[in-house]
Amino acid sequence: MDITKLPLFETMRERLSFLTARQTVLAENVANSNTPGYEAKDVEAPDFAAIAAGEMMPGLKVTDARHIAMSPSGTGGFRVRSMAGAESTPNGNSVNLEDQMMQVSAVQMDYSTVTQLYRKALNMIRLAAGGQR
Amino acid sequence: MDITKSMATAASGMRVQSDRMRVIAENVANASSTAAGADGQPYRRQILTFREAVDEATGASVVEVAKVARDSSDFRLQYNPGHPAANEQGYVTMPNVNSLIEMTDMREAQRAYEANLNVIDAARTMMARTLDLLRRG
Repeated sequence: MDITKLPLFETMRERLSFLTARQTVLAENVANSNTPGYEAKDVEAPDFAAIAAGEMMPGLKVTDARHIAMSPSGTGGFRVRSMAGAESTPNGNSVNLEDQMMQVSAVQMDYSTVTQLYRKALNMIRLAAGGQR
Repeated sequence: MDITKSMATAASGMRVQSDRMRVIAENVANASSTAAGADGQPYRRQILTFREAVDEATGASVVEVAKVARDSSDFRLQYNPGHPAANEQGYVTMPNVNSLIEMTDMREAQRAYEANLNVIDAARTMMARTLDLLRRG
């Protein structure tokens, strides 16, 4: 049994890679906070509820044993869009540092939550498998 | 790995902000650097601009200094007939450095530097959380 294929673990793994991708994009925004003409970007969240229900698999669907399984990695699998309508400075830069800082700490907190959940779920499996911790 | 990529991006942000600090320091230091004689030019204020770039080694999107240009605004004239650089009317051309602008610029650079530092700190915590998964219990 591959535990990473369980919908619960699949969802958490997907969530972690989403948060990593988001962190990368936020880092780009902050680094470019003074670049003229730079538009702030964000990552679109996939439908985690559908992944948890096992309805949607991230990446390419494998329907045959000969298919090559592919899961999205990095920002490649997620859609990055520029934040339209955000107010910008006269040089065309639309990065708001306070806003970015808030999002960075939100990402960090979410990441901690998911890793803790991951560990709890692993413990549950361990308990069911052998009862020994 | 992606988290190290975001660290590389934030580090490049810190690098350009410290370059900016250096340019500001040069401007402030030369705020009264006049020409040696009446026919010379005083110090011209420097401005630097940033642009997005891709770091080939890591594939991370980074920021770099596009160029350090000279501010083309007018020089200030100060009445000081005894000055060696004074013209026939007794005016000295002073550098186009405005200390108020430099201070505001410096604050902004400092703030951006701190923001990048925060991003690195957050990335580091995320990485530590991932490594914590390896620990038992």
